[in-house]
Parts: sequence; C-alpha cells; structure tokens
Amino acid sequence: MPDKLIDVEHLTISFPHDDERVPVVNDISFHIDKGEVVGLVGESGSGKSVTSLSLMRLLPVPPASIDAGKILFYENAKETNLLELGEEGIRHYRGNKLGMIFQEPMSSLNPVFTCGDQLVEAIRLHQHISHPEAEKQVVELFRRVQLPTPEKMLQRYPHQLSGGQKQRVMIAMAICCHPQLVIADEPTTALDVTVQKAILKLLKDLQQQLHISVLFITHDLGVVAEIADRVMVMYRGKIVEQGTVQQIFKAPQHPYTKGLLACRPPLDRQLKKLPVIADFMEEKNGVIVEKNTDIEELLSQLEITSLQKEINLKTLQEKRPILLVKDLVTRFPGKTNFWGRTESWTYAVNKVNFELYPGETLGLVGESGCGKTTLGRTILQLVRPASGEVIYRGQELSKMPEEELRKLRKKVQIIFQDPYSSLNPRMTVGQAIMEPMQVHGLYGNDKQRRQKTLELLETVTLKPEFFNRYPHEFSGGQRQRIGIARALAVEPDFIICDESVSALDVSVQAQVLNLLLQLKDEFRFSCIFISHDLSVVKFMCDRIIVMNKGQIEESGPSDEIYYHPKTDYTKQLIAAIPKVGGW
Amino acid sequence: MHYLLRRLGYGVLVIFGVVILVFTLFNVLPADPARLTLGQRSDVASLQAVRHELYLDKPLPVQFLLYVNDLSPIGIIDEGYPDQILHSHVSLFKINSQKTLVLKFPYLRRSYQTKKEVWSILMEALPNTIALGIAAMIFASIVGILLGVLAAVKQNTWMDTSAVFSSVIGISAPSFFSGIIIAYIFGFLLSHYTGLHMTGSMFSISPFAGKQVDLKNMILPALTLGIRPLAIIVQLTRSSMLDVMSQDYIRTAYAKGLSKKAVLFKHALKNAMNPVITAITGWLADLITGSFFVEYIFGWKGIGKVTVDALEKFDFPVVMGSVLVIASIFVFVNIFADFLYALFDPRIELK
Repeated sequence: MPDKLIDVEHLTISFPHDDERVPVVNDISFHIDKGEVVGLVGESGSGKSVTSLSLMRLLPVPPASIDAGKILFYENAKETNLLELGEEGIRHYRGNKLGMIFQEPMSSLNPVFTCGDQLVEAIRLHQHISHPEAEKQVVELFRRVQLPTPEKMLQRYPHQLSGGQKQRVMIAMAICCHPQLVIADEPTTALDVTVQKAILKLLKDLQQQLHISVLFITHDLGVVAEIADRVMVMYRGKIVEQGTVQQIFKAPQHPYTKGLLACRPPLDRQLKKLPVIADFMEEKNGVIVEKNTDIEELLSQLEITSLQKEINLKTLQEKRPILLVKDLVTRFPGKTNFWGRTESWTYAVNKVNFELYPGETLGLVGESGCGKTTLGRTILQLVRPASGEVIYRGQELSKMPEEELRKLRKKVQIIFQDPYSSLNPRMTVGQAIMEPMQVHGLYGNDKQRRQKTLELLETVTLKPEFFNRYPHEFSGGQRQRIGIARALAVEPDFIICDESVSALDVSVQAQVLNLLLQLKDEFRFSCIFISHDLSVVKFMCDRIIVMNKGQIEESGPSDEIYYHPKTDYTKQLIAAIPKVGGW
Repeated sequence: MHYLLRRLGYGVLVIFGVVILVFTLFNVLPADPARLTLGQRSDVASLQAVRHELYLDKPLPVQFLLYVNDLSPIGIIDEGYPDQILHSHVSLFKINSQKTLVLKFPYLRRSYQTKKEVWSILMEALPNTIALGIAAMIFASIVGILLGVLAAVKQNTWMDTSAVFSSVIGISAPSFFSGIIIAYIFGFLLSHYTGLHMTGSMFSISPFAGKQVDLKNMILPALTLGIRPLAIIVQLTRSSMLDVMSQDYIRTAYAKGLSKKAVLFKHALKNAMNPVITAITGWLADLITGSFFVEYIFGWKGIGKVTVDALEKFDFPVVMGSVLVIASIFVFVNIFADFLYALFDPRIELK
C-alpha cells in the first residue's frame, strides 16, 4: 500500500451566477499517492482548473466559495486540512510543498524581472540562504530542466525566451523548493506538438528522479496516456470515472470517456467524419443517458479506404487549379541602420510553389515560426510579397491595386485562430455575420441579409436567437462557429483556416472539424488548412505541405506524407503526436 | 547611442520649427519695438538708430537669418555682441578681421524694456519654476501612486469610490480657480495656524540675513500645481494596477508563496508603472512650463510670471526667449522619458 500524500474529500465549490450559486465542483473525492502521476481530464468549464487552484488555495474567495469538503495533506504521519489554514499557514505550503505550472508560459512569468531573479525570489522565500547560493541552485535547476546556457539564463528576461523555454523555467520554479506535489495545469496546451513532447518527457523524468507526485490537468486524453499512472475524468463538476491508464484506455466505462477517446483524429485509419461526444451520450434535463455505442463499431462505420481517398484526389486534380503560387517570397525587415534603411531581412516565406485545385483541402503543417501563417496572409494579400506570384483564377494578385482586391475579398475568406479576439466584442453576432454581406452589397437589402444570417446560424448549428447576443456570451467552440458563419456569409470559393481549431478542446475540435467537412460538401469551397497538428491536418486534408523555415520541406497526398515521410523534420512532427494507446 | 543621436536630431528640428513659428508670430503683431524701446521721448533720429540696432531696417528674411545666427550654438559674431558672448566662445574659423565663426552660447538678445540680457532674466526665473514644478510633481507622484494602489486593492469599497470621485473633481478644476481657493483658505483664513502666506517667492530678502531660501512659500503653489497631475496619476495607477493584478504572472507570484504585500509592491507595481511614467514625465514638462496662472496668483517669481509680465509690455525678446526655453525643456524631458521606460520595462528596446 503506497503512502497517501493528498486526500480530497467531498469538495464542493460554487460561483455566483445570476443571483444564484452554481456549483462548479460538485462533491468530488480523490487521492494522490506519493510519487504518483495522476491525470485529471475534462473539457473547459468542467471544473478541473478550479479543483487544481483550490488545492493551492489560489481561488479568489469571493466570488468563489468552498462550500464543503476537506483537502488533507499528509506529512510525517500528520494530516493537515489545507482549507483550514490561515493566509500565513498556506503560504508555507505554496511554492514550498506544492509547486504549480500554469497553462500560459507566455504570460505566467513576470516580464520585468529576469528569470534568475524570479527563481531566486522563490527559493529565498522558503530557504534561508544567501543570494549567491540561491543563484547557484538556480543554475543547477536550469541545467536539470535542460535549458541551454544555464548561467546566461539567469540574466535573461522572459520575452527573450521561446514558449518551450519559458515553460522549462516555470517547471524549474515549480520544483525549486523540492515540493511533494507539482500541479501542472494544461502545461503543454499552448505549445507546438514537438515542444509538447519534449516538455512531457522532461516532466516525467524529473518526476521519477525527484520522486514527486504530479497532478496533471489536460483536456487531451492523448497527452495523459503519455505521462500519467492513473486518470480521473471530470465532467460538469463531477469525477465520472477514474482508474489506471490501462483501464481507462482499454475498457472505458462512462460514455463521456468513450467519447473523449474516440474524438481525437486517429492516425492509422481514415474517417469520413469524427466521432463526437454526442455519439455516445445525450443529456436530458441534466441527466446523462448513455447510447451504448461501441467505439470500434462506430469507427469502422465511419471509415473510408485509402483507395477511395486516392480516387477523390485524382478527380479533384483533373480540373484547372483555382490557385497557383509561384516562387513566393515574403520578408520582414530585420536590422535597420542609422537612417532607418533595412540592412538585413527575415525571410518568413522563401520561394514557395504550390497549386490548389477546386474543392480540394490542402494542409499546411509546421512548427510555430515556420512561416505557414505568413504564407496564408500573403496569399490573401494581407501582407504583400517581396517577389513571386499568386494567381487566383488566372488573375495575378500580388500587384493588383487595393481597390480591385477588395472585390476579390468576397471570394476569399479567412477563419482565424483565436475565436476570442477575432470577433468585435461590441458587435452582436448577427451584425458580425451581416457585415461582410453589407460591405460587398450582397442580397439586396438588410432584411434579406438578416434572413440569410439566420439561415447561416442554423447551418453552423447555432440557434437563430443568438442573433442579438454579444460574443462574450459564447464558448470558444461557439465563437469559432460564428467565425465560420461569417466567412461563409459571402459565399466564398476559397477559405483559409489559420489554426482554426488549435485553441479548442479536443471534443469541441471534433465537432468543428466535422462541421467544416460537412460545409465543404455543401458549399464546395477550396480550403487551405493551416495547423501545427499533423493528426488534424491528416484527417482534414487531401494533400499536405510540410513547411520548415519558410520553405516547403515536402508535399504530397496526406497518406503518403504520414506513411512514407521523406525528411527527418516530417518524421519528428509525426513522432510528436500523442498516441492514444489501445488501438 | 544611435537612438540618442537621432532623438536629439529630431529635437533640434522641433526647436527650429518653434523658432520659425515664434519669429513669424511676433513679426505680424502690430507693435513697433523701436517705439517701445524708446518709450516717451522719441525723435526720428533716435528711432532710426534703434531700428538699425535691432536690425528692423533690414528685410524680414535677413532679420530671420540674423536671429537664427544669434540663437545657434555655431554662428558668426562680430564686435557688436555683448561681452558675455565675446569672452566665452571657442573660435572655429576667422572669416575676416571683424567676423569669426565660433562655438558659443545661444544669444537671446536684450529686453526692450530693461535692456538686460534675456538669457540672464530667464536664468534668474527658471530655477524657481523648475523647483516649483518638481516639487509639485514629487507631491503628485508619491500621493497619487499610493492612492491609486490603495484604490485598486480596495476595489469597489468606499475608499476606491471616494478616491475616484475626488480625482474627477481634481481633473476638472482649473488651476486658477483652485489656486485662488487654496490661497484664500490656507494662506489667509487659516494663515494663523498654517503659518503660510498667500504670496511669496522661494527667496526672501531680509534686511539682516540678505537672500534667504524660504521653502515654506513653496507649499501652497506646489499643492495647487500638483492637483491635476495627482488626480490623473491616481486614476492611471488604479486602472493600470487593476489590469496587472489580473495577469497570470500575479497568480504565479502568489503560487510561490509570496505575501500579498510583496506581490503588490514588487510584482504588480513595477509592471503597472509604464502608463504612469508617461503621465508623470508628460506633466513634468507641462508643470515646468505651464505654471503661468499659479505663479501669477502666488506671486512666484518664475518663468511664467516673467513671461506674462513681458507680454503685457510687448517685450518680445523675453517672450520669444521663454517660448524657446520652454520648447527645449519639453524636448529634453521627452527624451528622458523614453530612457525611463526602458529602465522600468526590459521589453522596450531603444531603437
């Protein structure tokens, strides 16, 4: 029987909402043993982050209130209820016995202090040692988390580091006082798949070397499989299932778990459409009704053969390409000299050539900074290229005057990555969707436009009564649907999706991807699908272009790229995708 | 270094623009400097002589070039210049027996009224103004930042609302109004308790001790001058702190186990300072140069009072000189502000 470290009993936390208190965490109980990695999985809003913050007592109380339960911390045969400690008492635990790694490495480090100072501060807060001694420890820690040039890192500011490096600094900060438990709240969600893989491996190694317990929180079951010993699945404030990784992945009991497992785009088979949570259960008045779907059965129903896929691609390519990109170069000024003239350039897109056929979906993959987003924007002429041609339906766009381009923008649309910042918060959903129609003077008058907007809302499975609501009332998935409706409003024949699903939970991602596929069938537009996640691109696209450092690394039909990658870079991208064990 | 040079270059351009503007402005004004200089006794001959001395008999472009030559640190001088310039310059190139190209102080000419050199008039007044402006700013910054932090931490309590409410009043009250009120209450009604007077300068001259610094006289004008920036600093600090307090790195700081005080004053305040510095430096230049009303009301012998007095008497060289000095101070303070930003926020690189 392993030693217990943390015991959470009947924890209930509520938040006020419209004069009522709504429980966000509803009577949950779990334990974490010493030296164990426990995964906590659930979609956004399921209460997993609230749970983790309550362990550290970092929840803002009020508005939150902890209505019931205990959080027991075991140490030297003594148990302490963390919820009963005063402000002074809990500070002795924070950072010292409990370390925490947050989701956003970009914003979780203080921008005005050096990385060294931020760690030294944490160490000296809990250990009575001198500044130079603490600095020595920090260098040692930086070496442990495999940061390059640990000595120099002391003097670096967070903005001088990459996302992965910042997360390593956060990890160093979490373990700097030898805590018994590290809480990792979506530590890799904001990172590229390749960086995610490296960070996961680092966490696992450190956990084993230092023999610490880890509570790992994520929305992605695939990530959990790589790191955890035990998994808890959380849904609507309750833990609906818990068990070892083996149990959860081989024989999931709860329909929600089954849905989560199935909705990740599979790598080894080709599906027409992704399974979604709704295939496994439905909710009637807050009661979950299971549909008794078998995962394997469902998947084989949805499968298409690769032969079929090949034939599809052949027929697509018989037509004349809708878009031709020739020797495209986009560059940004690097250094400037005294007179403001540019001395060196950064080449974001460097001599790129490809073509897109009508009705085709073309994937663009690569790590962040490889130039895929800039390429998308250059095609739309949101950024003007330095040289090369973009030929859309026989028209050269790169030298076209702004006036004429504006007419073409009707035909070419973009769906952005961040559903939160790409909608104007002061415009209702209806206004946002109607605006492009008004700009291009479509559908005669506002009454007809309104009618069209209501139809579009229905097309993207949103309710017509959302017309007069504002974006902040919607979840990430719903906002992305609004973005899609807005793009479709002008009936484009070419859409660029720039990381359109990267900010979404896997379960929501599956719904949005299905919607896109269905709309593509209906509206017959061509699509360039930009993503860092090869599994998503492989599911969505007929052909894939792998980009690296502004250039095309390789391109070909998606199965070809996945099964027979030619370059090491592509192989790394494929290896980095978290594998859901089992099938 | 490049950056500094370029900024200084822009600064010189700005000042040159001001020179052009000032020169044109005072040449369209309907007053005859020669007549003003001579006062009552004016015969044609002496008028001619003064006109010649002030270059008023030359065409406007020539007058302008001569003016610029006087102002520029590198210029041509001859015997006609005052002693101060003739004795303190570095010769660069001798053009002929009379004219030499030299490196010199800017020469702001003489007052029409007192015949004193404008430079020395202004330099007498400037320290008073700068001292007043800085005192007002120090008062406004310290009190403003403290109140702003307090309002942010106690958000939505009576302390917050009253701080915001009184700062709105502070912003809307013009300084000539609040100046009179403050002078009346503290310098007259309560003078007995406060020991302060309605008017007074930084230096008092007593028959026995000679010139004495009288800092007490600074309290009321500095208070008056500081009210508006104080109000703005309170509001800026408050909103900036509220914004920073909701950032992820503040949560990280708490997760380290830091106390609330340490999080507030170490992690949050330094991040919240950027917009506040903009306000402080912006207002500093404004206070140094814009204290006309306050100086006038409190009888503070600063550059503002000198300028207002000079305007009344059409003493153009003094007014032009003070405008130029004020413009230079603005330019300098702005360059200084950019360096302050970089000091507080390492993400800002001076390019």
